Amino acid sequence: MIWGLGFFRAMGVTMRNMFRPTMTVQYPDEHLVIPERARWALAHKFDESGAPKCTACLICERECPDHIIHMTVSGDAASGKHIDEYRYELGACMMCGLCVAACPFDAIEMSHEYELATPDPDKLIRILLRDVDAASGKRAKEVAPVAAREAGAPGEPGAPSADGRGDGDA
Amino acid sequence: MSPLLVIVLRTLAGLGLLLLNGVVLIYMLRKVLAHLHLRIGPNRVGPWGVFQTSMDVVKLLTKEDFRPATADKWLFRLAPLLIFVPSFMAYLVIGFSPTWHFANLDTGVLFVFAVLSFVPIGIMMAGWASNSKWSLIGGMRAAGQQIAYEVPLLLSVLGVVMLAGSLDLKVIVESQAGLWLGFLPKWFILPQFLGFWLFAIAALAESNQTPFDMSEAESELVTGFANEYSGMRFGFMFLAEFSNLFVSCAVGTTLFFGGWLLPGLEHNAVALALGPIVFMVKVYLGIFCMMWIRGTLPRIRIDQMLSFAWKALIPLSLAWVVIFAVILKAVRA
Repeated sequence: MIWGLGFFRAMGVTMRNMFRPTMTVQYPDEHLVIPERARWALAHKFDESGAPKCTACLICERECPDHIIHMTVSGDAASGKHIDEYRYELGACMMCGLCVAACPFDAIEMSHEYELATPDPDKLIRILLRDVDAASGKRAKEVAPVAAREAGAPGEPGAPSADGRGDGDA
Repeated sequence: MSPLLVIVLRTLAGLGLLLLNGVVLIYMLRKVLAHLHLRIGPNRVGPWGVFQTSMDVVKLLTKEDFRPATADKWLFRLAPLLIFVPSFMAYLVIGFSPTWHFANLDTGVLFVFAVLSFVPIGIMMAGWASNSKWSLIGGMRAAGQQIAYEVPLLLSVLGVVMLAGSLDLKVIVESQAGLWLGFLPKWFILPQFLGFWLFAIAALAESNQTPFDMSEAESELVTGFANEYSGMRFGFMFLAEFSNLFVSCAVGTTLFFGGWLLPGLEHNAVALALGPIVFMVKVYLGIFCMMWIRGTLPRIRIDQMLSFAWKALIPLSLAWVVIFAVILKAVRA
């Protein structure tokens, strides 16, 4: 190795870079595609008719480590629950996603809304639902709970392992 | 025209060139460095961001001229002038064509280097007067570095002076006219290849360019000697830095790359009329190479830098002067 050759190699590297496209993303004008599993502000899911899938079971409120989800619910399970208010303190949320993991009815999600800075602190407390009827637990039961689906529990209808084993053609 | 008017006009032309160079070079530096680093660089003010530096000048002009309470009042005010004026004076002898120059001195080479050796005094004064430890370290480094690198800078030029037999920049350019073997331009870089490298390294250090920008060293000294300055006083120092860059490259072009001459077209009237453009293109290519180096190499340590100057560069340039003198005498005898 000749002494000083590294200098010319380094100069070659930067000169190659000069003719490569820039990798700057000019943020307010351009946005990166964020990963599918990125966790940002909490949001509700709605069914085809536009009604929230939330059944007001209050598990997310109990599960939240920061105690930032507050639900006011009236009515009872027999006559149908009514959500007066679903309050979410965005400013205190640490986007851990435990509420989504705990939801038995797949009714909430960590959305991809990430431009959350605001000059108005009041905007950091969001009322996600106000004065709507909660979905009935029975109807929502048709969707399997998230945790059970991911574990692929045996006996679950439509689980691939159960189908494969029952086939005698092999 | 009266001689006084000529002097005033030439001074204003020089000042205009210096300011224009500063604005263009700062934009160029930011763009070149950005693209070397896969970035975009300024692109918001005007098309491709070309008005960015003009707006920066406006910003510097309208900024508060702040002096820290504990700074030395007179030295603090004097230092930017002492940095700016020598780098402006160095424009005096640069020849852009056989007829375009501010003044033609018989000792042009000597004058440029003599004048530029004032700059470290100003930098050290700025560092001392600011009464801040970062400024002081920057000023001290500048003094140590620029004194160390002035010696090889001057020695590396001696070979060219021997070849041309003159210290006059115009004579040096004109003695580079013609072709060797019918295709090689008679530029002094060919016989003086080692001398050119010594000159390039020493010029990088003299004009405070990375990898030798020890007196600024953004990441360790913030901005070194210019730390406590704001507004146009800082602007003067910044401008002087880029003007030194231009002067180094202009002197390098004159000494080693045939100044305003196009190889083989020395007696062509059109080529001579285009002399200033040819000269500027050569100078800007040199500046681009300096920026390219700046975007590539990391900053070395001050002790590495000084030991490189004293232990390698100065002995090497001394040896080269002696060897080249012997070779030249043998060839010409």
